Amino acid sequence: MIATIVQGKDLWQTVVASVVAGVGVTFAFSLAIWGFGQFIELSRNERPAAAAVAAGAGILAIAAVAAAVVIGIIVMTHK
Amino acid sequence: MSSDVILVIVVGTALAFDFTNGFHDTANVVATSISTGAARPSVAIGFASLLNFAGAFISISVAATVAKDVVDAEVITPTIVFAGLIGAIAWNLITWWFGLPSSSSHALIGGVVGSAVAAAGFDVILAEGLVGKVLIPAVVAPIVALIVAALAIGISYRVVGKQRPGIVTRGYRWGQILSGGLLALAHGTNDAQKTMGVITLALIANGTLGPEADPPTWVIVASATAIALGTYSGGWRIIKTTGTRIIKMDAAQGFSAQGAGAAVILASTHFGFPLSTTHVINGGVMGAGAGKRLSAVRWGVAGNIVVAWLLTLPAAALIGALTYGFTRIFGTGVLGPVLVTLMALSLIAAAFARRAQRGSPVPAAGG
Repeated sequence: MIATIVQGKDLWQTVVASVVAGVGVTFAFSLAIWGFGQFIELSRNERPAAAAVAAGAGILAIAAVAAAVVIGIIVMTHK
Repeated sequence: MSSDVILVIVVGTALAFDFTNGFHDTANVVATSISTGAARPSVAIGFASLLNFAGAFISISVAATVAKDVVDAEVITPTIVFAGLIGAIAWNLITWWFGLPSSSSHALIGGVVGSAVAAAGFDVILAEGLVGKVLIPAVVAPIVALIVAALAIGISYRVVGKQRPGIVTRGYRWGQILSGGLLALAHGTNDAQKTMGVITLALIANGTLGPEADPPTWVIVASATAIALGTYSGGWRIIKTTGTRIIKMDAAQGFSAQGAGAAVILASTHFGFPLSTTHVINGGVMGAGAGKRLSAVRWGVAGNIVVAWLLTLPAAALIGALTYGFTRIFGTGVLGPVLVTLMALSLIAAAFARRAQRGSPVPAAGG
């Protein structure tokens, strides 16, 4: 009875999705800021190869954020 | 004929509630962007209004919960829905007057439950839906938002800790356009659906729709429009409470709080939980503050907000029950709802006139 009322599976999935999306997107976005910050810093220090790697990491991280948002909205609209 | 007139009054009242919901709640959505300097107030509010409108179209799970899982739709009449809405609007305006970010959603559900119980007794409550889909998520969601925001801010400080502060602040301010936008979208999808659910409940009660019907398109469009207009119209007192009085945030904290709030609300909406967006964003704000430093959160203000949260369901239920009792003095016809509507409009006009006389309590450009 209590298990039926509590909607445990849905609630658990909500919690997991919230943690993964909330923490994951913030991590990816922070990584993007780190990448672009490193790119600026390394470019100033005339280390173009390392700067390019940092910029690449930043771009990948931004792409991950964008993908997470798009996937989230697609999942929302397809129930 | 009489029930159709009541239905028109109910739809009008529900859209008015939706407007006050936007007016009252979405301030919470934009407060963090404004307080960290990520966006100017006018831009943040305009952007939030547009995304509130768009958000209303992406799901109907919450509307289904409100229409079918909280009270027994077969016992409900349009007058009961009307009385519940008055309970919710009255409580929204009382908390707006005192600048407290209470929950419009819980006010709505409390109002409808209160008027339904006054009309038909406690058997009308669908305990499984009310407890499992409303009350438990109401407690769990803000706590999850708090934890997610605290984890997120901890991780972000660790990742960007050695970068130049200027780059970090600019980066997260840009990020807040995304996180604030997602939060506004999430708010639109969860909160506008509650109005859709209530109007659908009234349409089912009136026999206009079948018991298992989904919200018609005109209901979705009207609810989206009402909440977006409400968002655009106000909420400065509550912006101040959420944006600056709980904690003083930096841009990274704002991003984490908004990201956590958006994630929790969108995930909950997907499963049909009618959450309080106010609770969730305040949970996120507190988590982002506590994740940096526990003493950064002004726990006294947070405590006042919690008290307002706890009062919301019973207070709105009581007002809804009293309103239903008042309408029944005039029988089951249209006279009771018409009189209550006129009284409510007079009280609202008086409240706004008094507020206008005193002047705006929070400078619009203050952020």
